[in-house]
Amino acid sequence: MRHFTASPLHAYPHGRENGGIHPDELEELFAEPTWSVESLLPPSTHAPDAPQVTSQQLHHLLRLSALPPPETLEQEQKMLDTLAAQLHFVGKIQEVDTTDVKPLRAIRDETAAAEETQTITIDSIKGALQKEKVIGHHYKRIQRDTAPVDAKNVEDWDVLGSAERKSGKYFVVESERPQE
Amino acid sequence: MFARSIRNTLAAASKQRYICQSCLHRARKSPLALTRLSTQPRTRSLHTESEPPQPPRNATSFRKLLKDAAKQQKKKEKGAVSPRHNPRLEHWELTVGIEVHAELNTARKLFSAAATSVSEAPNTHVALFDVAFPGTQPRFNKDTLLPALRAAIAFQCEIQHKSSFDRKHYFYQDQPAGYQITQYYEPFATNGKITLYPHDFPPGAAPQPEPFDIGIKQIQMEQDTAKTVQQPPSTYLLDFNRVSHPLIEIITLPHIHDPTVAAVVVRKIQNILKSVNACTTGMELGGLRADVNVSVRQRQGHSESSHSYHGVTGLGQRTEIKNLASFKAVEDAIIAERDRQIDLLESGGIVEGETRGWTLGSKTTKRLRGKEGEIDYRYMPDPDIAPVIIGESLVKHLRDTLPKLPDVHIDTLVQTYGLTAKDAITLISLDDGARLEYYLATLHALKRDATQNEEEVPLNVLGKITSNWVLMELGSLFTDEAWDSTRISTRFLKDVVSHVRRKQITSPSGKRLLAMSFDGDKRSVAEIVEQESLLLKPLSHEEYVKLAQNLLDEKPDMVRDITEKGQVKKTMWFVGQMVARSPEGTVEPGKAKEVLKEVLGLGDQEL
Repeated sequence: MRHFTASPLHAYPHGRENGGIHPDELEELFAEPTWSVESLLPPSTHAPDAPQVTSQQLHHLLRLSALPPPETLEQEQKMLDTLAAQLHFVGKIQEVDTTDVKPLRAIRDETAAAEETQTITIDSIKGALQKEKVIGHHYKRIQRDTAPVDAKNVEDWDVLGSAERKSGKYFVVESERPQE
Repeated sequence: MFARSIRNTLAAASKQRYICQSCLHRARKSPLALTRLSTQPRTRSLHTESEPPQPPRNATSFRKLLKDAAKQQKKKEKGAVSPRHNPRLEHWELTVGIEVHAELNTARKLFSAAATSVSEAPNTHVALFDVAFPGTQPRFNKDTLLPALRAAIAFQCEIQHKSSFDRKHYFYQDQPAGYQITQYYEPFATNGKITLYPHDFPPGAAPQPEPFDIGIKQIQMEQDTAKTVQQPPSTYLLDFNRVSHPLIEIITLPHIHDPTVAAVVVRKIQNILKSVNACTTGMELGGLRADVNVSVRQRQGHSESSHSYHGVTGLGQRTEIKNLASFKAVEDAIIAERDRQIDLLESGGIVEGETRGWTLGSKTTKRLRGKEGEIDYRYMPDPDIAPVIIGESLVKHLRDTLPKLPDVHIDTLVQTYGLTAKDAITLISLDDGARLEYYLATLHALKRDATQNEEEVPLNVLGKITSNWVLMELGSLFTDEAWDSTRISTRFLKDVVSHVRRKQITSPSGKRLLAMSFDGDKRSVAEIVEQESLLLKPLSHEEYVKLAQNLLDEKPDMVRDITEKGQVKKTMWFVGQMVARSPEGTVEPGKAKEVLKEVLGLGDQEL
């Protein structure tokens, strides 16, 4: 976040020298914000630096997201404005220099020790290997035992219980084709 | 041959878990298919149960395919313009890349403990996660790596120590989460290859006498979709048993420049996958599907060939043809699409990046929809699935215990056992390998027999004789029934072959023995030979000549056809008559033929 602004503390060198902020200074500190997320957002009227989004692109994106298209031109304009503001925000985020930073995909233990325990070994799939046999004496092939497995613990529930429409053991959907 | 192999395939399939034609439907069904299909409203119905079952085209035996191909080749040589000499192709170069989707042979689904299944009651093998119940989490099923890794090793891929899963977003009813889980950014296997040998091709169709490689860019794991049954006009029945069945997608580099090579690549991928037990059903039963990416460019480099796919640059705009369900469809669809693109470019048009479809028997591909950009899928790493970390030792173990690949067996059969490549491939491909096992068992027994009798019979001679009996004679007995290795024991066949080879019985007697055993006769070869007096009582040369002469005298017109008109093949009719009219086990066809040639004065002519 260094890119956006310096830490507020930098504005108060005395506080640092004293090894902290004196309670008396707090009021002064909070009186005037030094940075706001608002700096990431465009002026409410329009976003001059945001890329232009066409009506066609908007409809394309809505369709990809399975969202309903706008009903009126006003609604469409509102959506376009919102999108422009969001793009402005994304543009600001993209300004952050992430060279050599490994993307964080999820919070999980990434230590070497954790990776070691997560490593899939022969032992991890021993069960599957034991369910195989080699057939043929002269022409050896592998064959998996295809006898049904017991999956009751995950399959024993009313799969169709929440279905709005069903027919026999099937879910039923109507599929309309919106115009391109 | 054709009928037999269909029957055998179906019979074999009925023993396995049946995968119905309609089940085959791929995971990568595009989201946009729905909305952009307005001009093609029935496209998806091709894969629904409302469709009558199609004959399993690939069940045509390989021998038959080879024969047909040889015939075609001959025809071409006789005049018609061979595609190889199609003058347009001197100006235009075709480039093809293939994506093959294969259902992995596993017990449970990719991200839940639910069982994989086929043709079971709908919606009976579904875990909460499989239907994207809110709050459920995926749990990667490590066992699915077993077939996936074997496939990757067989294709000589680099196995990635760490790979990860991504979400590919689109909305369609057969895919409840709103995204398919696949491996987009970090697939588990990369940089593989498949080597093609001349024996992989129909006769005369190999583009070069040396083996060559087609690069495999990557192999990724992904989820299958639900099975959809269309009820026209717009109602769909959904069965989530298949959703999240593990698949691998094999992506080749655009290294292919010939439609036949493309079909051969897909067939070979299927054979290799089966040989390492990574998948059990082939294209004919829907276990495998192919998409092809096709482009053309002028051979004299022109600036408009500026596209780049998988790092291969300077290519023309490509189109993708989806859901090809047979080797023939792969070949024909590519030819049609190549010709369409060349027509378009030669008439000043441009090729549009789009997705096209192909139905068997049609002359051209059909536009399905504009090609969605990859960006439309809004790929993102799936935060709910930990990276897959594959231990070195596991890969090594699987590499060391990998069954031998078909090419290795073909090599042994041809080099050591004297078979033609055609017969070798047939042996391997029949009956899920049971025929080859039977052949080898018989051959080894014959070898032992010969050694015990201190006979010097070269292995390639023994191998060739045995293959004739196993393929031809047993083949004709099993015409109407599925192969059964126990119906005629290898010991029985070995004794028959030995008796014939040592000229103790004639080969017609040998065939009769096989038929008796096939029909349930429990006696041994020695017993039958003795009790039925089949032992060869050889005629003297003079007796052969007399027999031949009598026959020839009966049919002077046929003799004239042979001697004056050169219709030497008619001699074989006399051979048959000599065998048929003599007591069983007295006339050997080979000897009869020689004697007839002698009497007719045909010298060394081939019949």
